[in-house]
Amino acid sequence: MIDVMGLHKAMGGKPVLQGVDLRVTKGESCVIIGGSGAGKSVLIKCILGLLEPDQGRITIDGVPRTAAFMDRIGMLFQGGALFDSLPVWQNVAFKRLRGPERAGAKDLAIRKLKEVGLTPDVADAYPAELSGGMQKRVGLARAIAEDPNVLFFDEPTTGLDPIMASTINALIRRIVTERGATAITITHDMTSVDVIADKVAMLHDGKVHWHGTRTDMLTSDDPHLTQFRAGSAEGPIQPQW
Amino acid sequence: MTYLAGLGAAVLAALASLGRFTLFTADTAVNTVRPPFYGTAFARALVQIGYFSLPVVGLTALFTGGALALQIYAGGSRFSAEAVVPQIVAIGMVRELGPVLVGLMIAARVTSSIAAELATMKVTEQIDALRTLSTNPTQYLTVPRVLAATLVMPCLVAVGDTIGIFGGYLVSTIRLDFNPTSYIQNTVTFLEIRDILSSLAKGAVFGAIAALVGCYFGLRSDRGAMGVGKATKGAVVAASVLILAANFFLTEAFFSA
Repeated sequence: MIDVMGLHKAMGGKPVLQGVDLRVTKGESCVIIGGSGAGKSVLIKCILGLLEPDQGRITIDGVPRTAAFMDRIGMLFQGGALFDSLPVWQNVAFKRLRGPERAGAKDLAIRKLKEVGLTPDVADAYPAELSGGMQKRVGLARAIAEDPNVLFFDEPTTGLDPIMASTINALIRRIVTERGATAITITHDMTSVDVIADKVAMLHDGKVHWHGTRTDMLTSDDPHLTQFRAGSAEGPIQPQW
Repeated sequence: MTYLAGLGAAVLAALASLGRFTLFTADTAVNTVRPPFYGTAFARALVQIGYFSLPVVGLTALFTGGALALQIYAGGSRFSAEAVVPQIVAIGMVRELGPVLVGLMIAARVTSSIAAELATMKVTEQIDALRTLSTNPTQYLTVPRVLAATLVMPCLVAVGDTIGIFGGYLVSTIRLDFNPTSYIQNTVTFLEIRDILSSLAKGAVFGAIAALVGCYFGLRSDRGAMGVGKATKGAVVAASVLILAANFFLTEAFFSA
C-alpha cells in the first residue's frame, strides 16, 4: 500500500504540489489525471524518491520509503529513457549485467521482450534504431524485468499512434492483472484511463481534486472532471500557458 | 547600490557553485572506494578518453614541439645561444607545454563529450531511470570516467611529451642542422626525474579535473537543447581555467624551491 500524506513540493520557487493526499492499496491500479502542469510527474517522482518533498510523508506498507523500495518497483518513463549506449537486451536486463547473474541476462531479456510482443532479433539492436512504439515496449519490458510488485507508468501512450497506444494500454492492463501488481499511471489519455484504471485521482491546483473508482468517474458530475473527460476548453480548468 | 548588490550576488553565486563542486568531488571520492565498481564502464571510458585522444594529442604535441624549437633557435641566436634548443625544448615540453596542452585538448575533447552525454541523459530522464534501477549515477557514470581520466592522462602526457620532443628533434635536425646524436644526448642528460614526475602528476590532476568538471556540468544541466549546450560550454570553459590554475599551483609546488 502506498500512502501519500500532505505532500508539498515547489519547483523553481513555484508551488506545484500543495497538500496531496493519496492512498493506493495493494493490487490496485490507480490512474492520476490532470491538466499539463498539474504536478502529476512531480508527484510520481516524489513517490519514487527521485525528488525530495518539501513537506509531507510517503509510506510504503505503513513505513517510510527506503532505498530498498527501488528493488521492488518498475518504471516506464514517458520517453522510454532507454540507455543509448547499450543494446536493447542490456537495457532490459540492466540489473543483471554484473556478477554471476550476467550469464542468464540475455535469456531473461528475450523472455521479457516476448512478453511485450517483441521478437528476439530486437535484442541486439540499439534504442536509436527502434520506432517510438518499440522503444515504449522495450521500456515496458525493462520495467517488468525483475517482476516488481509496484509499477509506475508515466504517460505510457504519449506520442504513439492510436493503434500502438491501444496495444500499450492492453499490455499494461494484462501485466498489472496477471501479476497482481500495484500500479500508478499518470496520463492525459482518457482511453488509457478506461483500460488501465481501477481507481482514478484527478490533480488540480496542487491537490487531489477528485478521486474514486472508474465507475464513479463515469457517473460523476464534478465540473472539473467532466470538462477533462470531454476535453473541452470551456469550464473551470484553465490551460497553463 | 544596485552595482554592489549585483556584485555581491555574483560572488555568492560563485561561492555556492564552488561549494557544490566541492561536495560533488567529495561524493565522487567516497563512491570511488565504495562497491559496486562498474568495470565495463571503466574500460569503455579508458578507451574513449585514452586511446581515441591519441591522434589529437600527438598532432598537437608534434607541431608545438616543432614551433618551440624554431622559437628557441630564433631567440637564442640573438645572444649566440642556439645550442640550448634540445635542452629548452625538452624542459619546456615536459614541465609545461606537454601537460598543459594535453590537458586543454582533453578539456576540449573529453570534458565537452562527457558534459554533453550526461546532460542529454539527464534531459531524457536516463539518470532518473538509473535510480529506479537501483543504480547510483555517481558510481555508474562519474566514478568510471574520473578514474579512467586520472589514470590514462599521465600516459597521454608521456606520449605528448615524447612526440613534442620528437617534433623539436625533427625541426632541429632537418631545418636547423643540429647533429641528431648530440640532440638526443643533450635531451636525455638534461632532463631530471623530477621533471618527468611533475609532468605525470600534472597529467593525473588535469585528467581528474577534466572528467569531474564534465560530469558535474552534465549532471546539473538544465532542460532542453539549450540546457545541454550551456552545460557543455560551461564545462569546457571551467575545465580549461581550472587546468591552467592547477598548473600554476603544481608548478609552484614542484619547482619553487
